[in-house]
Amino acid sequence: MKKKINFAPYLLIAPAVVFMLLVVAYPAINSILMSFQNYNLTKPQQRGFIGLTNYITAFHDPLFYQSLINTLIWVIFGVGFQFLFGFILALILNRDFRGRGFIRSAALIPWVTPGVLIGLMWTWMYDGNYGVINDLLHKVGLINTFIPFLSDANAALPCVIITLVWQGIPFFAIMILAALQGVPGELYEAADVDGCPAHTKLFKITIPSIKNTIFVTTLLRIIWVANSIDIIFSMTNGGPGFSSMTLSVYAFKKAYGTLDFGYASTLSILLTLLLMIVAVFYLRNFFKSADEQ
Amino acid sequence: MKKLAKAVAIFLAAAMIAGVSAGCSSNKASSGASAPAKNITLTHWLWVDDPSYLKTMQTIADDFHKANPTITVKLQTYAYADFNNVLTTALAGGGGPDTASFKLTWTPSYTQNNYLVDLDNSISGWSGKADVVPMLWDKMKEAGSGKVYTMPWTWQVLYVYYRPSYFKAVGINSVPTTFDDFIADIKKCTTTINGKAVKGFGLRGSAGGQEPWGSFIQAFGGKFADASGKVILDSPETVKGTQAFIDLYKGGYTPATAPSDGLSQLETEFNNGQIAMFIHHIGSSVTMVKANGTDISAFAVPKGTGGQWTSMGDTENVVLSASKNQDAASKWVEYLAEKDAVSAWDTTTGNLPVVNSVAEEPAFKDNQFVKVSMDSQSYAGIFPILPTTANWVSNEWAPIMQQALTGKITAADAVKQLDAKLKG
Repeated sequence: MKKKINFAPYLLIAPAVVFMLLVVAYPAINSILMSFQNYNLTKPQQRGFIGLTNYITAFHDPLFYQSLINTLIWVIFGVGFQFLFGFILALILNRDFRGRGFIRSAALIPWVTPGVLIGLMWTWMYDGNYGVINDLLHKVGLINTFIPFLSDANAALPCVIITLVWQGIPFFAIMILAALQGVPGELYEAADVDGCPAHTKLFKITIPSIKNTIFVTTLLRIIWVANSIDIIFSMTNGGPGFSSMTLSVYAFKKAYGTLDFGYASTLSILLTLLLMIVAVFYLRNFFKSADEQ
Repeated sequence: MKKLAKAVAIFLAAAMIAGVSAGCSSNKASSGASAPAKNITLTHWLWVDDPSYLKTMQTIADDFHKANPTITVKLQTYAYADFNNVLTTALAGGGGPDTASFKLTWTPSYTQNNYLVDLDNSISGWSGKADVVPMLWDKMKEAGSGKVYTMPWTWQVLYVYYRPSYFKAVGINSVPTTFDDFIADIKKCTTTINGKAVKGFGLRGSAGGQEPWGSFIQAFGGKFADASGKVILDSPETVKGTQAFIDLYKGGYTPATAPSDGLSQLETEFNNGQIAMFIHHIGSSVTMVKANGTDISAFAVPKGTGGQWTSMGDTENVVLSASKNQDAASKWVEYLAEKDAVSAWDTTTGNLPVVNSVAEEPAFKDNQFVKVSMDSQSYAGIFPILPTTANWVSNEWAPIMQQALTGKITAADAVKQLDAKLKG
């Protein structure tokens, strides 16, 4: 007897599947196809497939390598310090103290503030003529003349990284705080009985217990930060020169500055491939550790 | 329960499909909106430097409608920084407005794709043609390789704004007439005046800075292109002019923020008394006079040993070839270049009138900034109109010059790169 197929589940998920195909699959496939095309909106009559030309151009483009190095610096220092300070903040917020609820809420402010607004706010703070940071440094006698933070090719990228760190600390703090609250108190009590010092408890109990959260949040943040453009774009526009240009900003400027969507897609695909390598590395470690548990 | 789930699923799926279909059908409806009708609605895209200017433009559009009751103009504004890209993208996608504000340097990239209507025929029968400043027709023909694709709207000539009280304080009795004197005065003004640390010159290192830089290189004999239009930027003279530009920054005669300073930063620095001079056009004069009262004046960009040049800024209006109402659209852009519209717009914005009848009005004739602009007319020029120019101006000049200013590359390297990028 022929088995009757129940279509109801398929119909129920159909809207979501169609939606995902339209907003995720179609643009992704289109980007891959565009990366093999001469796709410049200022020259629509020259549009067509050009094989690997865009990829070869990228590998011979000095700005691609500079952007790649900047991206690595941006991600490593940006995410690294976000994690470090977020972890410290989470440990503090996990303790009992007066006004903890208020501090926990207030700590979220940078995370819920739009990136462009953060960029504008910090641009004014860094301003080389009227910025509050220069004013404070001058008042405490650390500098004699104002520093043009965002106009200095050596200082621009570190400055935008500091802004990024400020923005991302709450994300790590809240996620790690949630994980910390799941660590059984008995483990710490047993450690206290054994006379373990604080750093042993941190490295032998706390960190191993929240390892999965650390892996997932770091992976997510690496992907988000590598793809983010709002802060850099609103603060330096990738400059001065190309000193704060990351791959995602470079791709954005190619697409919406010169309307060269073909080359911009190539840069985006290369960034995606790099992120996939990182993601696979992280996921392998994450799943391995989950299996072990 | 199972039946209910099935019914919900069918409903959701049907709703989804209906939604997608609705999206498709609405697209068709909008593209079919150009069906012949007695009354015509034109869409005009523009940018405004100040949101309040849109009110004046709406009044002009309303007046046009009164004079031509069957034509209504719908205005749509976009930020100037994105305007060229938004317009190009819309046209490449088969959309776009009937008419739009425009820059001469964009012309080749639009004409090579046949996006613009040749206005020569309609202009030949237009009564306002003779009133337009003759030099503007020359520039527009130059941009269109002999044809006129653009209708004049506003124009500006760059000159030097300065603070007279600072000149007096450092003992400068008259405005400089040679480039050497200009540089010397910049250095003289870099001092403490009334207890304030002043820099002599506001240098624009971000987008738009190519215009004052152009005056520097040409003062030293550099040229963008030869008579045949061939780019000849890479020359010892251009390097010399570029070096003089960079030296002002490196010597501390400009604010330390110069590599990333744009127009708004320069205006703020000037209004706060932080800089003594900067180069820009009449478009800033209304707000600058409001901020500085009588302690602001202007002089023409001085002549160097190699020549004298200042950039001519421009805004035109074009009719897009995708417009289904090209006759009405031509009528509208012609109206914008006639006395009433020009007078209304330039009175609000402070731009230079494109028609002589308005330029002769006392409000313009007696304006000191109009006078300096008119005095600079004879040596005002535009950047070479090449398919690469728009991108060079918007995306290439600033990062290259910023690298030179911050010492990452030399002036010679910068000039070499600028030359190569302009050649394309």
